[in-house]
Amino acid sequence: MNTSVRRVAVLGGIRIPFARQNGPYARASNQDMMTATLEALIGKFSLQGEILGEVSAGGVLKHSRDFNLTRECVLGTRLDPHTPAYDVQQACGTGLEAAILVANKIALGQIDSGIAGGFDTTSDAPIAVNEDLRQVLLEINRAKSPAARLKALAGLRPQQIVPQIPRNSEPRTGLSMGEHAAIMAKEWGVTREEQDELTVASHRNLAAAYDTGFLDDLVTPFLGLERDQNLRPDSSVEKLAKLRPVFGGENGTMTAGNSTPLSDGASAVLLAGEDWATAHNLPVQAYITDAQTAAVDHVHAREGLLMAPTYAVPKLLERNGLTLSDFDFYEIHEAFASQVLCTLKAWEDPVYCKEKLGLEAPLGSIDRDKLNTHGGSLAAGHPFGATGGRIVAGLAKMLKEKRSGSRGLISICAAGGLGVTAIMEAA
Amino acid sequence: MSDRYQQLVNTPIGKIVSKQIGLPAPVKLERYERGQPVIDGPVLLGAAPGGRLAGAAAQVLAAVEAEVHTALEDDARSAAADAGLDAQVWSAETADEEQRFKALVFDASGIADSTELHHAYAFFHPTIRRVKASGRVIVLGTPPDDASGPRQATAQRALEGFVRSIGKEVRKGATAQLVYVGQQAEDQLESTLRFYLSPKSAYVSGQVVRIGASALSADGIDWEHPQAGRSALVTGASRGIGRAIAQVLARDGAHVIGLDVPALQSELEATIGELGGSTLVLDITDDDAPQRIAEHLLEHHGGVDVVVHNAGVTRDKTLGRMSDEQWDMVIAINLSAQERINEELLARQALRENGRIVCVSSMSGVAGNAGQTNYAASKAGVIGMVHSMAPEIGKSRATINAVAPGFIETQMTAAMPIATREAGRRMNSLAQGGLPVDVAEAIAWYASPASGGLNGTVVRVCGQSLVGA
Amino acid sequence: MLPLFARAGAAMVPGASKLPFVGGGGGRDVPDLALHLSDVAIDPDRLSAYNRVCGFDLRDEIPVTYPHILAFPLQLALMTDPSFPFGAIGLVHIANRIAQHRSIRSSERLDIVVRATPVEPHPRGKQFSLISEVRVGDELVWEEVSTNLKRGGSSENGGKPPGAELPKAEDLPATATWSLGGDLGRRYGSVSGDLNPIHVHPLTARLFGFKSAIAHGMWTKARCLGALQARLPEAFTVEVAFKKPIFLPGKVEFCEAAVPAAAFDIQFGVRDPRKGSSHLDGRAFSG
Repeated sequence: MNTSVRRVAVLGGIRIPFARQNGPYARASNQDMMTATLEALIGKFSLQGEILGEVSAGGVLKHSRDFNLTRECVLGTRLDPHTPAYDVQQACGTGLEAAILVANKIALGQIDSGIAGGFDTTSDAPIAVNEDLRQVLLEINRAKSPAARLKALAGLRPQQIVPQIPRNSEPRTGLSMGEHAAIMAKEWGVTREEQDELTVASHRNLAAAYDTGFLDDLVTPFLGLERDQNLRPDSSVEKLAKLRPVFGGENGTMTAGNSTPLSDGASAVLLAGEDWATAHNLPVQAYITDAQTAAVDHVHAREGLLMAPTYAVPKLLERNGLTLSDFDFYEIHEAFASQVLCTLKAWEDPVYCKEKLGLEAPLGSIDRDKLNTHGGSLAAGHPFGATGGRIVAGLAKMLKEKRSGSRGLISICAAGGLGVTAIMEAA
Repeated sequence: MSDRYQQLVNTPIGKIVSKQIGLPAPVKLERYERGQPVIDGPVLLGAAPGGRLAGAAAQVLAAVEAEVHTALEDDARSAAADAGLDAQVWSAETADEEQRFKALVFDASGIADSTELHHAYAFFHPTIRRVKASGRVIVLGTPPDDASGPRQATAQRALEGFVRSIGKEVRKGATAQLVYVGQQAEDQLESTLRFYLSPKSAYVSGQVVRIGASALSADGIDWEHPQAGRSALVTGASRGIGRAIAQVLARDGAHVIGLDVPALQSELEATIGELGGSTLVLDITDDDAPQRIAEHLLEHHGGVDVVVHNAGVTRDKTLGRMSDEQWDMVIAINLSAQERINEELLARQALRENGRIVCVSSMSGVAGNAGQTNYAASKAGVIGMVHSMAPEIGKSRATINAVAPGFIETQMTAAMPIATREAGRRMNSLAQGGLPVDVAEAIAWYASPASGGLNGTVVRVCGQSLVGA
Repeated sequence: MLPLFARAGAAMVPGASKLPFVGGGGGRDVPDLALHLSDVAIDPDRLSAYNRVCGFDLRDEIPVTYPHILAFPLQLALMTDPSFPFGAIGLVHIANRIAQHRSIRSSERLDIVVRATPVEPHPRGKQFSLISEVRVGDELVWEEVSTNLKRGGSSENGGKPPGAELPKAEDLPATATWSLGGDLGRRYGSVSGDLNPIHVHPLTARLFGFKSAIAHGMWTKARCLGALQARLPEAFTVEVAFKKPIFLPGKVEFCEAAVPAAAFDIQFGVRDPRKGSSHLDGRAFSG
């Protein structure tokens, strides 16, 4: 068994533009989007016919028939079919968790290369039958005689036929993620203005990333869409101020503008050991240095549902001998502007840092000019599983362009009170 | 002792009527019951930048397990963290309409000049209307005498007018206090802050109290039984306020030695018997009373920890109509006896280390009152005694303080003419009379072994009476 | 209706709305018509429905068989032209060859031309082909030769059936079994526009002598290419011969074998799982 740990290189990534729910990808399945994205990655790095160590990807909203979706995607690409694959699911942390899994295998020498990806469609979402109907159908299935089947069917009532469309709500609290975020916003005294300012910055930064060509080799057009559909380059605080609150009641601060919309999309990143990269003549953009996940108790301890990254990052920093200010880029996933601001406030807060994180002093502030410098989920949209790959690929390129040794921090919050974080360093 | 007006006004019909005719509607004040938390409800803690008292306040709030809120940018937040408080975040901008606080605690000690008084405005402006019924507004400051210069002294002195006005603005039984904490006295804040936060200070409002440095520490005190192992002499203990004092001190764990005149012996024994205390029957105006008291205390209790000079009488007459006896008797009982007893106890070293002398003064002693020249003189004299003896007593690591009750519902006040009585009851910020227990709680606060920082002070238990300063 | 134009012959082409079995039957040889459809956009809803029924992943590049359904109205119009010698309904689709010169993106606008080749003899009758060409601007990106048989008539010893040299499905290893639903003809028919009654319902199929509805040949071809989608290069030719009809519902075996050492050459076919007889023989190869 190999006991040494190897450096894990990010060679690059690609994604399709993110579309709004029931937009241009309304008819595209997760498999369509992921396969197209993998194909684009294969094209970008000439991987056709390659046997990779593995492909790991996942999404949040999946049909039950898609039990092996990533493998099916691989079989739909020009990768050698001998490339193994598996699905990952960790809510909005899926994409980054997939990258961590692949990275860890590379680090341990179990594989030399792999693709981490993620996808989600809110348009082609699975619809479940009503639980009553499901029971009737199962009963019919079990019934041995036509009479028994008829009897089971006779128990069916019209209201039982109403399908259940999946809701974006926490099973144990019954609150939607937005409602949870609204509670957090209130707890932390986050103002509407702060949220709208962060939102404008996200749009402005993403628009600039397109305009400067930064995203040219990170985004590949799909089904006629060339840029993220949600992007509003002309977004302004004044315009956002006109929106009505959607979470947190009439006096809430959270609007459709400063919350991410339901989106469709997919992303993929190519990771490898350095030897593999050299052998394939592919330059290393950045390394995945370390990663940390964490969880909060949003059920019993009334902790903020989306605050888990606040726990993960201090552990990550301590293990790597770093402070919060030791980064050139901060990629904090913008599920909601309020959640980003809550996270930042928490790290600045002596009470939270001591009581929750067990730190003697606040973790500190970050330079806002280094936050989501090429846009965030508020502007790009957030197909749950695809966000991790978007961030890893973007950050790798930013680090490469910045300078050797530059450093980036990724922080992604997820449903279920989960947080996934990672550190990347330029090659 | 019933307050029919209050009972009436607080019936549904009475409420309508009182509203129609514009009478103040006194609320039923929350009062302490055994086993209650010090404060039952959220506390907002704030500080002007550069203050030195938020830390001490935060530690007290942590000790009483209060639900504390602070603003994120406020200095008090670091203080809260240091105290181990899991403080919630307060933001005036985003707070719920319904958010209310049981107490607002503001460290104003950082205010260095009059322009910085704005910090106090900024803290209270968005919050003062969020104070709950029987809520507390507590401002902590630096005594003007301890200030670093005239500008700071001026600003700190300005707080008095600010806090007293708040006391008159807040409604529904809420109170406002200014606590000056001297340099190096930060560790003495706890007993006072606990008292002011708790329902024990129900009828105390608009007061300014100064805490000084003390070598005595409250460490290790049992806050439920601060008087455990201590003995407390209470004069005039058989009935009224004295009885309430005995009860509260006994509740706090003291062995109460109830003292009263022979005429009230059986009443005294009944009262004190219930409390498991002992009695001493004598007339404090007797010549040998001080000696007998000292000997009794030394012999039976090895000394005394708390002396409460409660015994007092009124003999009201306008000065021109007042007899010799009326004058002499009031002065003798209310003032001279206290002086002589104090002197004797000190001379015999019967008052133990960390001992407490608590005197009962009166609003009349502060403000004067027609028909009470004798009484007011005696009670003002008590204040003078407290001030004058404090330095000396402080040297022997003990303290002397006084409470000055306002209108307290007793047999004495029940006998007043109705107009006088109603005026006395209503002419204060809480629009009602106090109860004997309110005086007793204030005395127990002074008597606490943790109140070593209070010496030579007077606090009025008057619901912030309009009368007097 | 789509704008149909005659490039040669000048007149507007009538009859696109006619039922396929009504028109034609007049002349002895196919008319010298070229039907042109210009600036054709690809409807994403239709594309995704097509991909789903044929087993293609939805990508920016449209399936190699997709332009066929875009050209189909022109083919139909041509075959129902009064000058056309045969009634469309009696024709049997026997072979189809597509050459894709480069993949077509779904965002591209296409110009489509359809014409017919002269009638030739066939061992069992007469055959002719419909030639469809797709251009993007001036660039020829896609060509199809779709060969139809008119049974009977003078053809004793003439001609060679197209696709005779293709590998036989029965000789290839089966790699998958497909269960085809009874509604497959209707599903493909509604997407492709080919609502020939022999495909859509058993009752209508029986009117034309089939025991049940039969699968569209072009569906079968598309489904094979859907199965091969991941391995298809940018430019290639795919040629199939349609053999025995596939009755619906039913099960068939998909067979495939890559020719070793060739740049890109896959033999494939669809066969009856019990008898082993071919429904479709095919080959996809570079060039």
